Amino acid sequence: MTVRFLPLSFSRRRLLVAAAVVAATALTDMAGLSPAQSADGRQNGGNITFLIDSLGSTWIPNNSAISSFQGHIWGHVTDKLVYVDADGKVSPWIAERWEQNDDATQFTLHLKKGVTFSDGSPLDAAAVVANLDIWYAGRKSEGINPIGLFPKTYDRAETIDATTVKVSFKAPTLGFIPTLGYHGSILISPKTIAQPAAQQADLSKTSGSGPYVVDSWKEGDFVKLIKRKDYNWGPAAVGHTGPAFLDSITYKLVTEPSLRVAAVQSGQADVAYSPSPQELKSLKEAGFITATPRYLGFVNGLAINTKLEPYNDLKVRQALQAAINRKEIIDTVYTPDWKLATSFIQSNVPGATDHSDLLAYNLGKAEKLLDEAGWIKDSKGIRSKDGKQLSLTLYSNPYLATAKAIDELIAQQLGKVGWKVFIRAYDVVTFGEKVRFGGPAVPAYEVTRSFIDAGTVASILTDANNGENWFNLGDSDKSLNDLRDKIAGAGSAQIRDPLLDQLQTYVLEQGYFIPRTQIVQRIYVQSPKLKGEVYNGVAYASYYTATISE
Amino acid sequence: MSGPYLRYAARRLVQALAVILLAYVFTFVVVSILPGDPITNVLRDPQNGFTEDEIRQIIAAQGLDQPILVQLWTSLSHFLAGDLGLSMRSSRPVTTLIAEVLPSTLVLASSAFAVALLLAATIAYGTQFLPKRFGQGLLRGFPSLFLSVPNFVIGLVLIHVFGFQLGLFRVIAPNSFWATFFAAIALGIPISAQIAEVLIANLDHESAQDYAAVARGRGLGQFRLFAMHLIKPSSLPVVTIIALTLGELLGGSLITETVFGRTGIGSLVQRSVSTQDLPVLQAVVSLAAIVFVLVNLIADLVYPLLDPRVKLVGGPKYRPTTADDSSAGTPQAVTP
Repeated sequence: MTVRFLPLSFSRRRLLVAAAVVAATALTDMAGLSPAQSADGRQNGGNITFLIDSLGSTWIPNNSAISSFQGHIWGHVTDKLVYVDADGKVSPWIAERWEQNDDATQFTLHLKKGVTFSDGSPLDAAAVVANLDIWYAGRKSEGINPIGLFPKTYDRAETIDATTVKVSFKAPTLGFIPTLGYHGSILISPKTIAQPAAQQADLSKTSGSGPYVVDSWKEGDFVKLIKRKDYNWGPAAVGHTGPAFLDSITYKLVTEPSLRVAAVQSGQADVAYSPSPQELKSLKEAGFITATPRYLGFVNGLAINTKLEPYNDLKVRQALQAAINRKEIIDTVYTPDWKLATSFIQSNVPGATDHSDLLAYNLGKAEKLLDEAGWIKDSKGIRSKDGKQLSLTLYSNPYLATAKAIDELIAQQLGKVGWKVFIRAYDVVTFGEKVRFGGPAVPAYEVTRSFIDAGTVASILTDANNGENWFNLGDSDKSLNDLRDKIAGAGSAQIRDPLLDQLQTYVLEQGYFIPRTQIVQRIYVQSPKLKGEVYNGVAYASYYTATISE
Repeated sequence: MSGPYLRYAARRLVQALAVILLAYVFTFVVVSILPGDPITNVLRDPQNGFTEDEIRQIIAAQGLDQPILVQLWTSLSHFLAGDLGLSMRSSRPVTTLIAEVLPSTLVLASSAFAVALLLAATIAYGTQFLPKRFGQGLLRGFPSLFLSVPNFVIGLVLIHVFGFQLGLFRVIAPNSFWATFFAAIALGIPISAQIAEVLIANLDHESAQDYAAVARGRGLGQFRLFAMHLIKPSSLPVVTIIALTLGELLGGSLITETVFGRTGIGSLVQRSVSTQDLPVLQAVVSLAAIVFVLVNLIADLVYPLLDPRVKLVGGPKYRPTTADDSSAGTPQAVTP
């Protein structure tokens, strides 16, 4: 059974072959033989172990799906309505096709037939409506959160027939379809959704429709997934739709980073997550596979509190933009796997445009801007104005291992133009409380956030529609509000893309956001025996298409 | 059993219960006054999109808007009724969480304890009977050495040598026999140090006694002298040390579990501290207090029954006291 065909071709011939293979597989299974190879000619079977540094805090699907750890498991246990690849390209998955009206306020989703959750219930229109409703609203009194970044403009979803869902929005929501491929938008069995929070928190009681099901798990220890033999509805974009090849995937928690890597090196495990960036070069040289996929979203950078002196001064912000040497950050802290920021959104996001000129390192320009703004250098090289020193406090992001090293480098760089930089490192809880949501006394806070659709950006920058108001501008910046409203109201990408370009130019020119580097938050080290994994738009590795050799 | 003993036992029991309750209240107060509010912290995450009004409702639904004394009373009355509540972090029952991790810690702690006893006895024996040129004096330095090398260093060395180089165990199967064995060694080594110190001091004392000289004069072999005559009187204070090393075992297991990738009480505490998961912390600290108090209670209750020299002096503290050291108020053997 070594039939090969082009991935992505979805011809009748392929379906026939696939059907024949499924039948043959069923027969060999009945005969007690285990087929060595699949329809793609790939090796069937095998078990892998993935060493991870945390498994997050809870398994309530809504609450945990935005964590950067549980996404690995959800990606195998559940499916999504659409698939979004690493370049932000949207393609069918559980939704075979969709239509939208001209002003992007109504969408009709047509679902694949015959899809079931692992508890046996059908993934039909009613199930999709139940999911959309809980993604939007959660069940707050029970502590079940809404899904972050799910469009707040959601009005309602209704079933037209068993495989058709109509979704309506109160305002144009062009980003709706891509958002269905976000890691939070996981399809969960309605039976699971109906359970109280305490039951949903038990991973073994949660049913998805994914290629793997939870075999066993222990909190803070491991999650073992085994493959679902009747799975036949994978995303065509990954070139395979039948059952997974690997028999099982075990996610094992090992908190010590050197042990995770050493275990892969000694052949005790197959993948180590979150090694330190500095180790990657030697691992690559030793023949291990390293992966540094970028997710779709914001780059790693600083959001500036424009209410706080002296950052209410445009020239000071622009000087900050010009005084940071981004190339040096990559050369010193990272490896060539990291890319220079070209905007405040990652360069692989559809709609992202190149604004490298606005982010060029220019010491002279920074000095000149600060001189103009009235900040005068003293004999020690520190600038001050009206008896106050030019200072900046950076709060190192405890979620990002390299954050402090970058902050230290930035402190040196800014020191050259006369800035006095303080660095504060807090634990996760304190950081969240004092810094994360831009406390009033925080001049600049580090932000990185994944998203699928660039339309999300506009709603975050100001406080309109309960937005996150990153720069503490409220509704005060007319140009920004104008762009925000136009982007939100755009009915098509053709209208929206030029507006997004203007928005990027504006935010960078104003020095509202100070990009550092494009973000790689998920780093993988993998045994060369394991092949064929796929990284999606949020940089999670999927082993659905992977195989392992002895 | 005499009246004074029963009265003494009853007093000790009441004291023990009071200690457990105080431990509970103390934990509650400490965690409550810690800076940082993990609940509103999560709720205020703009990604979740809660309005201030909804946050207020959720907090009210969980009774967290009540005065601290009311919250303490609710929590305490549930605790006394055996209801440990739900974890704030994972929304799963605290009893389930503890039941999942307890066996692993019990296995680790008891094997580490066995390792510690064996190691301590071997070292102590060596300091008495190993010929000087084979490093008898050197052995006396071992306990301080064991105490000064951090637990996690020992663990990492063991893992790299026996796990990765020799392939004796796999870090991904931390509950296998060999993985547990080496984890027990890593945890047992620092604990053996304290036991060895006490044992060596007592052996030094006992072997200088007349009866030991008489036994030696009668031509008794070294091992028989050690095993039949010296070890028994020398190990009585070890009973007290056991109660004291319990805390060490709990603290050490946190690090050992982290290093060896084991999931146990230690790793549960670590996760709960980092997220300020009050119900879990409360339960674990109370559990530790109960175990600690129980072991000490048993030691105190058993001591006067075992050692006929211990008299119950009716002082205000009702502690067992030997006749020749009534002023100290503690068993003489504790301070060898």
